[in-house]
Amino acid sequence: MAILRTESLTKTYGSPDKPIYAVNELNLSVDEGEFVAIMGPSGSGKSTVLYLIGGLERPTSGKVWLRDSDISTLNDDALSRLRRESLGFVFQFFNLIPVLSAAENVAMPLILDGVPRPEALKLANEALTRVGLADRSSHRPAELSGGQQQRAALARALVAKPALILADEPTGNLDSRSSDEVVQMLRQTADDLHQTIILVTHDPRVAAYADRIVFLKDGKIVDDNRLKGQGNADQIREQLTKVAFS
Amino acid sequence: MTTKRNDWRATVGQMTRMGLRYLNGRRLRTTLTTLSIVFGVALIFAINLALPSMMDAFKQSMSSISGADIRFTSTSGVSFTPESVLPQVSGVAHVQAVTGILSRQFSIPTVENGALGSAAQIQLIGIDATSATAVRQFAMSEGRFLQADDSGAAVFPAGIADFAPELKIGTVFPLITAGGLKLYTVVGFLAEAGSPSAPEIYIPLKDAQAAFNQPGLINTIEVSIGAGADREAVTAAVQAALGDGFQLAADTNGADVVGSMEVGFAIFDLLGVLALFLGAFLIFNTFRTVILERRHDLAMLRAIGATQRQITVMIVIESLLQGAIGTAVGLVLGYLMVVGLVGVIGSMWQTYFHLPAIQLQANPGAFVIAIVLGMLTALLAGYWPARAAGRTSPLDALRPTTTASVERAARWNLIAGGGLMLVSVLMLVAGAKTAAGGAMLFLIGMMIAAPGLVIPAARLFSPLLTLWFAREGDLARSNLVRQPGRAAITGSTLMIGLAVLVLAAALVSAFTGLLENLAGRSFSSDILLTPQSVGIYSGVIGADDSLATRLRALPSVAAVGTMRYAPSTVNSEPVQVLGIDPNEYPKVATFDFPQGDAATAYSELGSGRTAFITSIAQSTLGVNVGDEMVLQSAEGPQTYRVVGVANDILTFKVAVVFISQTNMAADFHKSEDILLMANLAPGADKQAALTDVQDIVKDYPQFTAQLTGEYRQTIVDLSASAMMFFYILALLIIIPAAMGLLNTLTINILERTREIGVVRAVGGSQKQVRRMVTAEALLLGIFGSAMGVLTGVAISYGFIGAFGAIGWTMPFAFPLMGIIAAVVVGVLLALFASILPARSAAKLDIIRALQYE
Ligand SMILES: Nc1ncnc2c1ncn2[C@@H]1O[C@H](COP(=O)(O)OP(=O)(O)OP(=O)(O)O)[C@@H](O)[C@H]1O
Ligand SMILES: [Mg+2]
Repeated sequence: MAILRTESLTKTYGSPDKPIYAVNELNLSVDEGEFVAIMGPSGSGKSTVLYLIGGLERPTSGKVWLRDSDISTLNDDALSRLRRESLGFVFQFFNLIPVLSAAENVAMPLILDGVPRPEALKLANEALTRVGLADRSSHRPAELSGGQQQRAALARALVAKPALILADEPTGNLDSRSSDEVVQMLRQTADDLHQTIILVTHDPRVAAYADRIVFLKDGKIVDDNRLKGQGNADQIREQLTKVAFS
Repeated sequence: MTTKRNDWRATVGQMTRMGLRYLNGRRLRTTLTTLSIVFGVALIFAINLALPSMMDAFKQSMSSISGADIRFTSTSGVSFTPESVLPQVSGVAHVQAVTGILSRQFSIPTVENGALGSAAQIQLIGIDATSATAVRQFAMSEGRFLQADDSGAAVFPAGIADFAPELKIGTVFPLITAGGLKLYTVVGFLAEAGSPSAPEIYIPLKDAQAAFNQPGLINTIEVSIGAGADREAVTAAVQAALGDGFQLAADTNGADVVGSMEVGFAIFDLLGVLALFLGAFLIFNTFRTVILERRHDLAMLRAIGATQRQITVMIVIESLLQGAIGTAVGLVLGYLMVVGLVGVIGSMWQTYFHLPAIQLQANPGAFVIAIVLGMLTALLAGYWPARAAGRTSPLDALRPTTTASVERAARWNLIAGGGLMLVSVLMLVAGAKTAAGGAMLFLIGMMIAAPGLVIPAARLFSPLLTLWFAREGDLARSNLVRQPGRAAITGSTLMIGLAVLVLAAALVSAFTGLLENLAGRSFSSDILLTPQSVGIYSGVIGADDSLATRLRALPSVAAVGTMRYAPSTVNSEPVQVLGIDPNEYPKVATFDFPQGDAATAYSELGSGRTAFITSIAQSTLGVNVGDEMVLQSAEGPQTYRVVGVANDILTFKVAVVFISQTNMAADFHKSEDILLMANLAPGADKQAALTDVQDIVKDYPQFTAQLTGEYRQTIVDLSASAMMFFYILALLIIIPAAMGLLNTLTINILERTREIGVVRAVGGSQKQVRRMVTAEALLLGIFGSAMGVLTGVAISYGFIGAFGAIGWTMPFAFPLMGIIAAVVVGVLLALFASILPARSAAKLDIIRALQYE
């Protein structure tokens, strides 16, 4: 059953008479529990798709269905509520608030939702344990390594038990070892919790962990491969090059 | 899940925690921006804590005549004839006995202290022994009370022993009177202790009337009522019998002292409010910087589901925290200020004035005012930046804003700010009433317009920069122009500090100009005889004709002019009435007549009931030349016609009505001279003449004789030292403004870490990077100074104009020195603030900088 469905999703930038199509009539459907990687050359619209799905950006036309509701009709407050209750984000940079401890950062979506602090912190510590940071919960972000920071961000994305996790190049800033750690964690989450994940990445080694890879070019899907976790990085790289120069 | 959702307390609690951590993370900045709240709150709290306590101590010393059941005085405080009044009172039912008293509290000159020991003030009470003893009991501890045919006899309360232990029955001592020193003999001591600060001296009514030169007059009615009668009912009946011109004796004695204390305190209050107002601007700017600085954090919070309102609440909480810290520290500082003040003046207060010790009272009003103002300042300053923060898009952390939208916003700012400034200029030139509002509006308009001014200003000043810094100058300019919002905040922070500096300089030069102008014109006489206190005449014993006559008799003296005093009210507004002789006075003194000419004004003052009023009286009473006003006098309400507006240096601060001495004698029963001025004959030796005058004044120790020139200089010097306040205020604002500048400059550099990395990577030397940053700071400095000077000129024009509304018309002198100082200070501050960021930018690790996002 599809948990997410986009319908002719389109986003243009620039003046209406000379529009730049960042996303062009995109139809994408993601099943519950699926781990999807989105790949494509720079400027192909990967991030934009993610922002549209996450309600951070409004579509020029088309619709985004999350479960049974069309999120493109929601107002700002409802979108905020949706983000903290049903979506989890991991970005490349600036994921954590520097003045808060890891546990407080993770607890933030719950606290914003009005969950009493002790309870929110308890849930946050559980999420941190899941990503292997139980002993780092009282540390500030500056006291964590890049990989640890991204795992904390993942814990925060998980804490509210969202319908969907959206990650935009979460490993883009990491060395290969930390990068592996983070993506393994994502894979494990998908397996253990049956968590739906959409991940944007440039890195074929990272994409290889996904169940499915969607290739984008000029805002359109040009290829859609189901790997079932059997991906091969070299094969993916080859395909990516093919897409880029086609 | 047991989770209770949407409990806003949890969110607010967390926001508070975060706010505290952010503030704590930037301790220096927090401290400095909070300083202005601290000072504002401290001033306001201190004043409102000290004032009632001091008033209380003061009033306590004023009310010590006791014993009678009911006491009445005239509403205006003037003396009156007993014959017309006492019979009316004795006719009232249940009134047992009535007596008339003439009393006055006054300071005694130090030369007099010999006999009365350490007493600085006394209350001379003239009583009619026969009727007074019927009204109340005078229990004696030693000797006898006054008798009907006494003359030159005096009775003291027992407490006089604390001041003058040598005083015995039979001691003969001198007292100042209007007719010169007069000798009295002690005949008895009362059993009651009397006033602890200003001892009473009871003398026969006739002697008191002679001492004050008010023959046949009294100023207080004392009434005793029959046993069992209802005191309130009898009081009401007496009031009805006496009519409007009389009131239950309040502590009118010293009311004008209390009044002038209140004026002084009001000025401090105003300074406190001004400090808070400017503090609000600094906090406002700091929060705008904070929001830029934390753009990523805010956007991230939005991305993970914070609503706009939650973000706004978060920033508001943070500003309230800052307000709370500032207010708390301000309260402590204010308290310490009061304790210090009481420590310093308290001992003076007791030794010189013998006033009871000041008891600080926990005064809830003072707390409430200080706390409300402190928190309100922070709230107002934080609210708009908080709203803007709420509108942060979650994508701000992920994507840069486009330059097109920045430029559009800058254009809107220019239009809105320019519009406001246009309106404010109209208000500035429209007149005194709107001038202060116009000044504030100009400041706000300039702040709004600032982002739109960055680009034109950069274009205007860049040739200068290119000349000095070559290529790096161009780079600096393009950096500045790329983020006009940021440059505008830095520039306007500097602007506020410098505008206040220009304002301070302008106010000081305007006031000094006003004072010197008035001082130069006010006294044209050669010699001046002043009482113990100039300006507050109720506690003064003047001189009768004898002094002026003796002065006129001196061969070296050509003319003598005098001034007389009576209290009064116009529409229940208290005014000082000063009596002058329209023929003699112009020979020795000059008024500044803002309207009309002197000759006609003086000739009109000589005929009928006519008056001059000071500009302050003109605005407080709302009367103009040609209008009539009703003065409460000893002869009931009297209608006077205003024939001129006149100021001099002694009266320009107070509401004064000048009338002829003839009218003063007739309506106010006063003929004591309280100020005398003498002109010398042509060719007379000033110093020799002064010696002659001082010889005569020995018999009137209440006066001091000096050359007018010296006195004038003392007044000008004294006032000039008060001007230091303006400079201190300017300093209080400039220090936080400098920190704000340092702050935004540092953020500027941090934000551009990556660009600086690129500059270095493509071969820019450390020196070039440093020059680039310095050039940018300099450009900002010039930009801020230019805005500061413009705003400074506008607000000083407005404030100086606003004084016109209360009657002080001061010429606006272009504050050239202030402007030069502001530009120098602004540019130096900018350069100073750039030292650290420039160094750290130059030292940036190229690789790390390139990775920085
Ligand atoms: N705010 C914007 N204004 C104008 N154009 C934009 C904006 N955001 C994105 N674009 C354009 O939309 C297109 C898609 O951008 P997007 O960031 O989605 O690409 P991407 O696939 O994530 O690229 P990368 O791999 O470099 O992150 C690009 O051509 C980009 O220039
Ligand atoms: Mg992208």
